[in-house]
Amino acid sequence: MKANGAEIVIKTLISHGVTDIFGYPGGCVLNIYDEIYKAGESLNHILTCHEQGASHVADGYARATGKTGVVIATSGPGATNLVTGIASAYLDSTPLVAITGNVDSKLIGKDSFQEVDIAGITMPVTKHNYIVKDVNELEETLCEAFRIARSGRKGPVLIDIPKDVQAASCEFHGGLPLPLYDNPVPDDTEIEKITELVKSSERPFIYVGGGVVSAEAEEILAEFAELIDAPAGFSMMGLSAMDYKNPRKLGMTGMHGVYAASVVQSEADLIIGVGVRFSDRATGNIGKYTENAKVIHIDIDRAEIGKNVAPDLSAVGEIKETLTRIVAKLKAENFKQTLTSWNERVTELVTKQQKLFDGSNRNPGDFTPRKIIKAVREYTEDNTPVATDVGQHQMWTAMNYDFGAPRTFITSGGLGTMGFGLGAAMGAAVGTGKRAVLITGDGGFHMNMNELATAVTYKIPVVIVIINNGVLGLVRQWQRQFYGERFSNTTLHRKTDYVKLADAFGAVGFLVKNEAELRNALDKAFEVNDGPVVIDCHIDMDEKVLPMIPPGGSIHDLIIK
Amino acid sequence: MKNNENFTMSVVLKNKFGTLMRVTSLFSKRGYNINTLHVAPLVENNEYSRIILTSNGDQNIKEQILRQLEKLVDVREAKII
Repeated sequence: MKANGAEIVIKTLISHGVTDIFGYPGGCVLNIYDEIYKAGESLNHILTCHEQGASHVADGYARATGKTGVVIATSGPGATNLVTGIASAYLDSTPLVAITGNVDSKLIGKDSFQEVDIAGITMPVTKHNYIVKDVNELEETLCEAFRIARSGRKGPVLIDIPKDVQAASCEFHGGLPLPLYDNPVPDDTEIEKITELVKSSERPFIYVGGGVVSAEAEEILAEFAELIDAPAGFSMMGLSAMDYKNPRKLGMTGMHGVYAASVVQSEADLIIGVGVRFSDRATGNIGKYTENAKVIHIDIDRAEIGKNVAPDLSAVGEIKETLTRIVAKLKAENFKQTLTSWNERVTELVTKQQKLFDGSNRNPGDFTPRKIIKAVREYTEDNTPVATDVGQHQMWTAMNYDFGAPRTFITSGGLGTMGFGLGAAMGAAVGTGKRAVLITGDGGFHMNMNELATAVTYKIPVVIVIINNGVLGLVRQWQRQFYGERFSNTTLHRKTDYVKLADAFGAVGFLVKNEAELRNALDKAFEVNDGPVVIDCHIDMDEKVLPMIPPGGSIHDLIIK
Repeated sequence: MKNNENFTMSVVLKNKFGTLMRVTSLFSKRGYNINTLHVAPLVENNEYSRIILTSNGDQNIKEQILRQLEKLVDVREAKII
């Protein structure tokens, strides 16, 4: 059948099972928005306040559901406003399709009104991008974009469509999804070498990354850990890949990793990295990171092997399938490891951590971030999506929140995007149909809090917990530690009244200064099912994120106080 | 830089606008320098072009460039010659 470009866009989205899209209209996407109008209830479009917000909503939606997020923006500023969201998705390997309009193809290159080379701008932060100059190529390009976003290591793809291409017609074939590209498959000798090394290890440590969440390999991961009797540490992106009730889960490692996870990792004789990229924040000093341990690296992206850490052995393949083969091989040999002294040492360190960091050294009345997060957890379910912005509150959440199900920690790990949280939490709520929680800081929340209006309009249930210390806490902490307490531009001196702010946006807000008030507010917040609730938690400005390994340091440099 | 050596690389990629930029942008993004560069359509199939470029770096950098180039959708083949 014949269709015009805009129809092809919308019909192809629907053929790909897309039910929710996020965006903002404008001159160069008028045709597409006209088709969204005509699509009626078959496509739920959420209009945000800002294109950046839309990009984070689509990203959070994708992270929480595993589906591909779709975001639409107009040319020029609409398109450039997406860039931070696209880059956030790229660094955390989130499948995202961004569709931008552009000026008529005959006006491209003439600095026309709202013209920008968005394909050129987003080249380094997309898996691939397109400018579609011929409507005959549009259907195939859209299908290919979805295929690329989801194949192998997932990520964002951008399609820029000039306005005249949206209006032009051609034959349309239904826009059906293409099969994904094949994943690399490790050969049997690689699997065998890995199992042999694993078997010979006396102090194995599994280091779990976001690739495990993305591959939905949490069950086989738990089985693998059980079989080799190993503790597991996590990158921030991997934290939700194991249930907190599993005693093997030690928590996050790295710069702000929890004590036991970091020390156990440093004492291991074998680090098995699964779906990780050994980022600088996770490893610190690379030389010291691997000085006592051999390294096995399992990842879907061949380019990650050897990029940051040179592994002794590696396997490039889909994570779930690769782990399944390793487990099957071990089982076929009736292998079941018992490492008593290693696990006693792990238990000893976990006990020490509890003594050091359970807050018992604080005054009982102190309103600490840990208390806030533990209290919030009492109200959430295992599968409640929890989003954050970036900074101290993010680290406190990573360290203290008990994640009980995969895809529940929605956070900007790689790019570290402040302003990510509110949109992402909304996307997670829309995608899962559940109430989401946003734990944020006063700095991060201020960046994109305009999206409160969106959450109110669309009745999206998000409980927003602002851990408000009046400062840009993590930067301030670095200024204290490394810059002689010269607190340059990190004290906010803002007079924002979040209760009035929430009220002004049509939401409900609470100000709390102690745990009893917090619980009282949470009681009410978790009763609200038709919109956002803001809880402004006032804490002391000198609360720190501890422990900390300084940049480029190792476990020997661990700062505890 | 340890074991720094000059090398020559051949990259076969789709012959269309923007693909050369994808390759050069990858070099600059990762902080690698291109010393010389030549590009021309394949004689046998002008839908593809071959880039011959020279760069320098140690074995790790060479590997990393190849692996990253292979990830580009428009690149059919990348190798050291």
